[in-house]
Amino acid sequence: MSQDKRLRIFFTGVGGQGTLTATNLLARTALMANFEVVAGEVHGMAQRGGVVESVLLLGGWRSPKLDHGEADLILGFEPLETLRALPYLRQGGTVFSSSDMLPPLSVSLGVAKYPSLEAIQSEVQKIASQYTFLPCRELGIKAGSVQSGNTVLLAAACASGILPISLEMLAQGIRTFLPEKHQASNLEALRLAEAYLKPSAA
Amino acid sequence: MGKHPLLSEKRGEKQLLLGNEAIVRGALEAGVNMITCYPGTPSSEVVDTFRRIGGDGRYKMEYSVNEKVAMEVACGAALAGAMSLVTMKHVGLNVAADPLFTTAYTGLPGGLVVLSADDPGCHSSQNEQDNRGYARMAHLPCFEPASAEEARAMTRAAFALARDLQQPVLLRTTTRVSHMRGAVTFHTLPQAAQTVAFEREPMRYVPLPAVARKRHAALNNTMQRAQEIADQSPFNTETSHGNTKLGIIASGVARDYLADALVSGGWTDKVDLLELGMTWPLPEKKLTAFLTSHSRILVLEEGANLLERDVRALCQRIAADVSIEGKDEILTDMGEYSRSLVMQRLAKWFSCPCPLNPTPTPRTDLPGRPPNLCPGCSHRSVYYAARQVFGDDAIYSSDIGCYTLGVVPPMRMADFLFCMGSSISGGSGFSEISDKTVVSFIGDSTFFHSGMTGLANAVFNKHKLLLIILDNGTTAMTGHQPNPGMLQEALGEDCSHLDIEQIVRAFGVTQCKKVSSYNVRGLIKVMSEFKDLPGIRVLIAQEPCVLYARRTLGKRQPNVAEVIEQNEDTRRCLKELACPAFYMNGDDVAVDQNLCSGCMVCLQVAPKSFKAVKREGGRA
Repeated sequence: MSQDKRLRIFFTGVGGQGTLTATNLLARTALMANFEVVAGEVHGMAQRGGVVESVLLLGGWRSPKLDHGEADLILGFEPLETLRALPYLRQGGTVFSSSDMLPPLSVSLGVAKYPSLEAIQSEVQKIASQYTFLPCRELGIKAGSVQSGNTVLLAAACASGILPISLEMLAQGIRTFLPEKHQASNLEALRLAEAYLKPSAA
Repeated sequence: MGKHPLLSEKRGEKQLLLGNEAIVRGALEAGVNMITCYPGTPSSEVVDTFRRIGGDGRYKMEYSVNEKVAMEVACGAALAGAMSLVTMKHVGLNVAADPLFTTAYTGLPGGLVVLSADDPGCHSSQNEQDNRGYARMAHLPCFEPASAEEARAMTRAAFALARDLQQPVLLRTTTRVSHMRGAVTFHTLPQAAQTVAFEREPMRYVPLPAVARKRHAALNNTMQRAQEIADQSPFNTETSHGNTKLGIIASGVARDYLADALVSGGWTDKVDLLELGMTWPLPEKKLTAFLTSHSRILVLEEGANLLERDVRALCQRIAADVSIEGKDEILTDMGEYSRSLVMQRLAKWFSCPCPLNPTPTPRTDLPGRPPNLCPGCSHRSVYYAARQVFGDDAIYSSDIGCYTLGVVPPMRMADFLFCMGSSISGGSGFSEISDKTVVSFIGDSTFFHSGMTGLANAVFNKHKLLLIILDNGTTAMTGHQPNPGMLQEALGEDCSHLDIEQIVRAFGVTQCKKVSSYNVRGLIKVMSEFKDLPGIRVLIAQEPCVLYARRTLGKRQPNVAEVIEQNEDTRRCLKELACPAFYMNGDDVAVDQNLCSGCMVCLQVAPKSFKAVKREGGRA
């Protein structure tokens, strides 16, 4: 694969959301499709209720962590975390994010304020050339499980053409790598994402 | 149940594996017979994977009570002829260093590989020590993989070398390598290795001074052989562009950042590379050839400047006329390297502008998500009770586990911490000098790890200490690995449960009480009673880890808490208990029923404010 097809993806979400599972699904799907794959994640203390970040590199990149300004694509499973991860995006990169908020404790306790979705989007707009916010949690619940909301985001990214992975390849990945009991809801999430992005096709 | 994919016998099969899983595959391909460990991030997935895949009777494995014990069990097994693996995090090797240094003298015919998973950047550790230093100090051949595929291949090679030399070999990863995923191509999967019959040889294996002196010489000879092997190692490779000026010597994960930096900068043809994967002993012939054929050398290594110092020393020895650069203000001995840091360093070395775009400054005003004790965590109620009883009058000696998070306000239940097990002995020392009550907190796994010896010492030396053992029945922080305190039914047939209270009493502690961690009144009563008593007082606060209870023991409370009255007490409970299931709904305190575990501690803290209601569907 030539260098111009190299891609760096930054995943971010909240512990327990399934960010690492989603990263792993996309990584295994990419390997199945014969791309060079390196993924990086951090386990342990970082996961106790905190932010979970991971990276997926396609096409020959080797560094298992990203610096600011390096990601071609941010997949944000929670809008505040999308905003926090924004410095990782290169100028002109792409953002796909869930619009469903999971307020951190300080916000729940009324000590801190959660920025509005409009404020988050306007920050994203300053750096990204293309961005989409989707109600992943809502669509996931509709598809049969909260966790399949992560597939909504993956599917949206695949459908956009920014990833070298087609929706059909992602569906194949779901059928190959997810436990059988989770396949139906995740395939439904994929369909819902497609329908959400192209209302006419629904 | 089908065979686990890691046990696939298909040579050439390609799987996406975590670095730590790739180590498991490499060990299986070498024929590993015995695995011991003490869990610790970022090493834990290695042994957890061995446990999960079962292994078809290929190997024996155990979770030992601490790293020294794990090392000794593995050394014993290797002496009895087994190809053995012991795994731990970097600071664990400090605990295990004693047997390691001496078994390097005696040698271990079965072969021992020691996995040290280092944590530059302190993702989940109390320091970022660089354990390549142990390779130098204890005389251990050392491998440093930088990809999942290398993790497999180098593990396999490390075992072959350990058996060939009869010498412990260090496999050193870092967090990024252990937790990196990449394509791994499988080699053949043989049967488990033949064990090497033990031959009685006390003049080798009993290191009396006369024996030890001889064995030191034998070790030096072995390391000389290892040096020749390092010079031939396929993991030490030179990439030459015929450059007579610029050469880079790189090891470990720095090689990944270097590769990406060279591609990004368009510098690939500008420099020659000597990449080291088998990093100790130094491949001196390869290095000498490289050093004498280039006039400017840059050494890239994450962590301490070990390779740089060795290269400088070698240059002096061979009188090489070459300029050496390494650590500077860009690439320091602190934290992790990255592609852009390496690019900046290279640009400086090349004296060219760095082709990196400026990046936005991260916002610091966003609400954070610091790690916190879970809703329903049995430690939270104990900390709440302790704060009620002792407030700021006591000194809190903490230990290593989830409960270190008690440092977070409003609990503020940690004033100092050294290492695993230090809560008891460090607290003992503190109370010898201070007038204040010292309260030590230690978890069950940490108590077995190295708290027991501290307690024996405290009784023996008549220290004054109030010890609270936070017994949640599992090794929670690292992923619920077994420990001797775990319930017998959870341990199964292979392990025996040890009772903490019986141990404490057997040590001669007479002031010992056990209370449920969810019994706030009981906790406050015992703590108040113990507060002004002399000598050693031990409170065992017992309740399973809420995640472990739900996921493994299948226990789930049928009720959740609900706010029934908004008053001063409700707000005090929110402020002082600060359960993550609480939230503000406008001016009102509310409970998120999806998060509430049903521990009902809030009902005890503010009885008029909360009541228990039946859980509706939903998760928790």
